[in-house]
Amino acid sequence: MTSKSSFLVSMKENNKRRLWVWVIAVLMFVLILPVVTAFVLGGVARSNEWIWEAADAATAGQLVHQKMAEVMGGMLGFSGPVVVFSTILAVISAVQGFSYLYSRKKIDFYMGMPVKKSKRFLVIWVNGILIFIIPYLTGLFISLLIGAGNGAVDSGVLYTAAATFLVNLCFYLGVYHLAILALMMTGNIVVTGFGFLVFCLYECMVRYMLLGYMQEFFDYFTYYGKEEAPLVSPFSMYGKLAYAFSYKNAIDIKYLLFLLLFALTVGVISYVCYLKRPAEAAGKAMTFEITKPFIKVLITVPVALVAGLMVFDRVNMDFNDAKEGIGWVIFITALAVVLGSALIQVIYEFDIKGALHKKRDILISGALTAFIFVVFQYDLFGYDDYIPAPDKIESIAFVPENYEQGTSGMYFDSDGSYLPAVEYAEKYMYLENAGEVCELVKLSMDAHNEDVKTKEDMEEGKYYSYSTVIYRLKSGRTVNRALWVNVEDERSGQLLDTIIGSQEFKKGYMIGTSDNLNTILKQDKYKITASYGNTVYMERMGFEEFKEFLKIYQRDMELANFSNVKNSVPVGIVQLDITEELPWAVYRGASGISKSTRGWDLSINLYPFYEESLGYLKERGYSVDRQLNMEDIASIQVINYNYEAAKKLAEKQEAEGGGDIIVSETASAGRYGRYDSDVATRVYADYTEEDEMREIADCIYPQDLVIGDWDNGKSLEEDYRVIINFKADSDIMKYYGTSASYGFVEGQVPDFVREDTVYKE
Amino acid sequence: MIEIRNVTKSYDKIKAVDDVSVSIKESTVFGLIGTNGAGKSTVLRMVAGVLEPEQGEIAIDGLPVFDNMEAKRNIYFIADEPYFFANSNAIDMQKYLCSVYPEFAVEDFYNYLVNFGLDKKRKINTYSKGMKKQLALICGVCSGTKYLLCDETFDGLDPVMRQGIKSIFASEIERRGMTPVIASHNLRELEDICDHVGLLHKGGVLLSKDLEDMKCNIQKVQCVFKTIDDEAKAIKALDIMKNEKRGSLNVLTVRGNKAEILAVFATVNTIFFEALPLSLEEIFISETEVVGYDVKKLILG
Repeated sequence: MTSKSSFLVSMKENNKRRLWVWVIAVLMFVLILPVVTAFVLGGVARSNEWIWEAADAATAGQLVHQKMAEVMGGMLGFSGPVVVFSTILAVISAVQGFSYLYSRKKIDFYMGMPVKKSKRFLVIWVNGILIFIIPYLTGLFISLLIGAGNGAVDSGVLYTAAATFLVNLCFYLGVYHLAILALMMTGNIVVTGFGFLVFCLYECMVRYMLLGYMQEFFDYFTYYGKEEAPLVSPFSMYGKLAYAFSYKNAIDIKYLLFLLLFALTVGVISYVCYLKRPAEAAGKAMTFEITKPFIKVLITVPVALVAGLMVFDRVNMDFNDAKEGIGWVIFITALAVVLGSALIQVIYEFDIKGALHKKRDILISGALTAFIFVVFQYDLFGYDDYIPAPDKIESIAFVPENYEQGTSGMYFDSDGSYLPAVEYAEKYMYLENAGEVCELVKLSMDAHNEDVKTKEDMEEGKYYSYSTVIYRLKSGRTVNRALWVNVEDERSGQLLDTIIGSQEFKKGYMIGTSDNLNTILKQDKYKITASYGNTVYMERMGFEEFKEFLKIYQRDMELANFSNVKNSVPVGIVQLDITEELPWAVYRGASGISKSTRGWDLSINLYPFYEESLGYLKERGYSVDRQLNMEDIASIQVINYNYEAAKKLAEKQEAEGGGDIIVSETASAGRYGRYDSDVATRVYADYTEEDEMREIADCIYPQDLVIGDWDNGKSLEEDYRVIINFKADSDIMKYYGTSASYGFVEGQVPDFVREDTVYKE
Repeated sequence: MIEIRNVTKSYDKIKAVDDVSVSIKESTVFGLIGTNGAGKSTVLRMVAGVLEPEQGEIAIDGLPVFDNMEAKRNIYFIADEPYFFANSNAIDMQKYLCSVYPEFAVEDFYNYLVNFGLDKKRKINTYSKGMKKQLALICGVCSGTKYLLCDETFDGLDPVMRQGIKSIFASEIERRGMTPVIASHNLRELEDICDHVGLLHKGGVLLSKDLEDMKCNIQKVQCVFKTIDDEAKAIKALDIMKNEKRGSLNVLTVRGNKAEILAVFATVNTIFFEALPLSLEEIFISETEVVGYDVKKLILG
């Protein structure tokens, strides 16, 4: 048994050989951290001297302290430089501590000594950790003293410092053990470096490859729910802990335990490798002969597949179409297999002549690569065909992309934190009509597959809109799939009516009916501003008035389904600005003293069939009948881009040949098409006569109100743009501007406008 | 006693040591001879517990040696290229070795440094190769271990230093029964130091014997027989290992002690007879030639 004193003596002796590592650690933590802390705090104090003049002493003292404490928390909390320092130190410490294993001379010396292998490991290992802990804690302590001297320390800062130290220690252990493992599996410092990089990047590469291939080969693949960052990496775990801390101000115990478990597991594996490591491995590329072919194949296969993927991206082809493209991909992938295997064999043998040794490994790598490639190309596991049986589904979330989100589609959780729409739906949408959703999925996939197979151009009666479907299975598994729904298909429309018309869908998708919104409205810390209008004309609503309106709106929402929304144009929107003030974040800008805030905007479309809501607004004097006030209009200009004519002109010019083609085919690209193509066919018409203006005003809507949407519903005529010039003395001119962009709803262009603006050769 | 029983060790599927069995008695100087690549260093590294044998056993005073502290406390291994800590001096090495070997003779260490003219404060990386070997030997002797394993340690030492080391060995053997095991590829380096010699070749042991026994059991005689019958009679009666004939002069290497051989020659008529002294080299040549090896090529170059 190792006595305590002999262990300490061994540690002391070991530390004598590691002085320079101590010096690096001390420089990093004991010198740089306190100096930077003092420097930054000094800067904060100087830049906030004005607060003492602007507020009374008590308030100023509190504000300055809050600012200092915030900066101090930032200095001692999760930060990139500490991650970099810790990583460098962990790798140096591991390599320096166990580097004797690279040298036969040193191994003969150390292993000839009467010191147990386990004790030698323990001494080096413990010292490697102390090299981090002692300077870190010393630097932290000095920094806290400096902070306390500047009034920048409070319980929050101490908590942040302690929590961050704990996480940094676990992170350090993870990287330290990873470096030790790389060292134990190799016999040369350069190969150890490669090994460490492989450990750090391997999962990233495999994930990149898998997701890339899924994206390229599977029609119904969705990135949603797919983690691109590696799971078993101290770096990604640290990132997750830092992210969680930034918004919860608490350590996410789950990730911390995971990081600790990772560190311990890698540590145990390293120790076993150390015990099994033969002394004669010193100087060789790999310690354990048996690992060589496995490592070679495990690296070569994903590298080759990634090379293929990059070629795929490069030639930007479709595998279903381009045989030539696939030839290139196969060639580059095969080349990568051979080169990858050869390179690794050269490293194994430290001899370029060994490149083509172990051809069996090349063959195995090639076969595996080809197998994986074929699995993806021919979807051997049926990824694209997968639709779970309805009886195996617990619930579903059906999430259209950008549907009914008004002018701003903001989702937030019950604590006010931002959520993307799909995450929000995953959390709050539990559709129980699995049979109907599955039928829609099947219908959509069949139609889409047929179109892909026949390579048909989009024809009349087809309009595919992107959605994400999240199946929660009774087995506890969650499966996500992308889906293109033909929203013009009759049966799909019926199914969508049921799905979108359901309470579960609205609860998980329509933010206006969200319980989270109701929760936020009850909290005083939020400043809420509501307004009603059509994006051009907006009128402020009282807060109580809005709350009353919201209840009515939520009743009206029950009437909404896919078809009635698709066939309607919004009458107006209710816009909501939610702001939370951050009291400590006071700053002085060019416009004076300001407070930082965080906020959310959301808007709710109001359709003509929301009769109760509109009635309520009308009763309160809001304009719900028209989109323009005639008294404000000075003139109206209509621009007709005549895209069809532009296209024909381009075709004609191309057919005739010779001379410059002044109209490009891309003229048909849409209203955002190239301007040089618009020049030829664009026709302007100005109207100042009241009758004409009134007729136009009756059938136009603000461009921002009618947005091309997921449901391919009513939209504005693509060819026409209507510019309303306001009178100089009008109110709208003061708060909106000199003009506003409007458009005609499809099929509602007045005949005289059509005639005035048609393109004539 | 160090017992090596049927030990085998391979590097990358090449057998460096193949079924070697040798016993090294206490209080003797054991020389391990062999060409480069014969497996001397591998045997010593296994005896030191640095390498683990694939097959067979190595026991130090009855204890298995690999990762066994009790056995390793009795061993100090000086590798062919001794390692010293970077930027260290003799004092640093002494302090480290004291932490590992509780019996380390600190006073003797500094006395030996003075006697060998080594500056204790000078950085070891500024020492010459020979000085480093001297320091390694001093460290080994002062460690107080029973067995001192020296891998090519004497190669390159000047005669004065060799003599100095020899006398230290002699006094340590006498004082505490130290047992040096010295591996070398040069037979002449060991001739005046070793009591017992083991010859390794291609990973196996060709022979392992006491030098005195070898010297007593092999005689070299040159003679001219009077008649062919005398020659035939003598050859029949003697255990001849080697017979070189140059004209009528016979040079015979004969197994057996001197008295027995002289008695045989007394029964035959010779014109000329002379018993010659045998060098260690000749003994080896004769011994190995018997088993089909040309030791000149192996060791003497």
